[in-house]
Amino acid sequence: MRAARWPGTLRGRATLAFTAVAVALSIVLAVGVWLGVSRYLLVGRERATLAQTTANAAQVQRASGAAGLSTEQLLSQLPRETGSTSLLADGDRWITTSLTVGRADIPAELRQAVLEGTPARQRFDVDGQTVLGIGLPLASGGGYFEVFPLDELDHTYRVLAGVLAGATLAVVPASLLVGSWATRPTLRPLDRVAGAAAAIAAGDLSARIDPQGDPSLVPIARSFNATVAALEERVRSDARFAADVSHELRSPLTTILGSLALLEAYADHLPADGREGLELLRAEVSRFERLVADLLEISRADAGAEDAVLEDVRLADLVTESLSRRQTTGGPDVPLVVSPDGRAVVVRADKRRLERVVSNLVENAEKHAGGATAVRVEAGPAEARVLVDDAGPGVPEEERSRVFERFARGHDTNRARSDGAGLGLSLVARHVRAMGGSVALSESPEGGARLTVTLPRQEVPCDD
Amino acid sequence: MPQSVLVIEDDARIRRVVEMTLQREGFEVCEAASGEEGLARLGGRPFDVVLLDLRLPGIDGFQVCREIRKTSTTPVIILTARSDSDDVVAGLEAGADDYVTKPFVPKEIVARVRATARRTRGGGEPPTIVVNGIEVSPLAGTVTRDGAPIELTKTELRLFVELVADRGRVLSREDLLQRVWGYDYFGDSRLVDVHIRRLRKKVEADPARPEVVTTVRGLGYRVPA
Repeated sequence: MRAARWPGTLRGRATLAFTAVAVALSIVLAVGVWLGVSRYLLVGRERATLAQTTANAAQVQRASGAAGLSTEQLLSQLPRETGSTSLLADGDRWITTSLTVGRADIPAELRQAVLEGTPARQRFDVDGQTVLGIGLPLASGGGYFEVFPLDELDHTYRVLAGVLAGATLAVVPASLLVGSWATRPTLRPLDRVAGAAAAIAAGDLSARIDPQGDPSLVPIARSFNATVAALEERVRSDARFAADVSHELRSPLTTILGSLALLEAYADHLPADGREGLELLRAEVSRFERLVADLLEISRADAGAEDAVLEDVRLADLVTESLSRRQTTGGPDVPLVVSPDGRAVVVRADKRRLERVVSNLVENAEKHAGGATAVRVEAGPAEARVLVDDAGPGVPEEERSRVFERFARGHDTNRARSDGAGLGLSLVARHVRAMGGSVALSESPEGGARLTVTLPRQEVPCDD
Repeated sequence: MPQSVLVIEDDARIRRVVEMTLQREGFEVCEAASGEEGLARLGGRPFDVVLLDLRLPGIDGFQVCREIRKTSTTPVIILTARSDSDDVVAGLEAGADDYVTKPFVPKEIVARVRATARRTRGGGEPPTIVVNGIEVSPLAGTVTRDGAPIELTKTELRLFVELVADRGRVLSREDLLQRVWGYDYFGDSRLVDVHIRRLRKKVEADPARPEVVTTVRGLGYRVPA
């Protein structure tokens, strides 16, 4: 996922820009080199060939009056570079040193210009090969021509073009690499800031940025850390306040619960409306008590005073006991399905918290989703799971993460009036996290919601 | 004769409501508003159970508990306004037998007091058993090593008797919580662990290498036959 989104990151964009500039520069450079070098090579070639032709023409001129050598012999003895051909036009007679290049091969323009007394040169093709023809008029009339093959030069051009194109192409991966390497140290501070911010967003308020001697990071780290420290202090003091409040509520609640129980012993002596009032009072007080207990647990966890009592627990036993405890206190019967490998699975857990987790999940299903249809205990290679399916309509995808928030309720307005403070699932999430596990909401195969609690599996010696 | 309970609690309302609740259940109740007052009352007469708040003005509940343990084996149930494990464990280490967290419903405290009182009265125990040179007489409530008495609290004695009576077998924490404290599956197993630790200090030659009461990892405790 990260790799696919990489071009969208700052570092990705910087690297791409770096690469684009590098490629553009190397194209410009390659074209420049091509133009310069090819021009230089051509000029050099023309100069060399012209010099040779001029020297040879002068020698032909000088020798034409002298006796001894035939014109053919003279031509064949002229110093020439390999592959070039000398031609002599003497009136209508053309003498050539090559079997392949003759009068007919010299373009008419070139022939005409030279025979009319103007030195000329021209590129043309002979048998599909590019050649350079140079013609010089002779004082004796007629003209001296030399034809030079240019395939050597063409080959050089091709090699040059290939090298330049290859180099330009090689710039792309090279500059991508160099770019990403060069941007890393520049953007590493950002990575660290991003990492710290992500940790804080995930709830780790103790995350700080360590500038690690990077001077560019010091100011941002300082202000970031100060902000987070303030935030942490704020969250902690809020949590402490909530903890203190719920703590202070416990003493009066104890008195209220005790007095209420004493009053209830005399309920039979009360008139009907008095009994009803007492009934209402009892319902509200027990709800209040539950809320205070939940708030206390949550705020204690927030304040960093997590005090889970962890021990090895057989998950299936615990879930069985939790469900039967619910049943004895008037809850409906919920079918429990334990998979074969789930029967003996052991987790490291706080029994009472895990009991709260199971009963909260079942209770939540009863309050909001028409009851739990099944509770399952399963085991994986490294984890154990408790699954609670309900008979409700399921929870829309976009609301799923919200259900674990405090006081979260669905859009259904009916729910706002039902009991329960909406702390149930939030407490579940907290308890499960304190035990090193996770909780997730998905869809059950029957269409209702499925809450899955996953806990790390504990390896223990086998039971007798 | 009704069983007597001493309630040491600084909150007058809670004290009163606990008193009324226990009286309705047939207990004889005495009150103390501070640790000092509580210790003074304990010096005057014996009680079957002491209910002790941990947060007290003056000397606190932990200190009161340690003072009680210096001279007496009377069961102490601590009342803590927190489920704070530190408070609970510290209270148990100080010698308490059980605990109840606030807010509690009266039923709960009655059940705890009853279970604790029952523990101390015994009944139906086997005659004297000797394990590892230690002589346990459940009926007399005495434990001696080479004739020298070992002073155990009522709960420690009960715990030891359960383990000794079933010597050779592993008893899980749940078993012990049920048999000694009368808790169901969800009892706090720290009660067992702290009491085992205290018991070992008294009966083991070397508490760091227990031979009388051994731990069976992941399963529970055992007194080897």
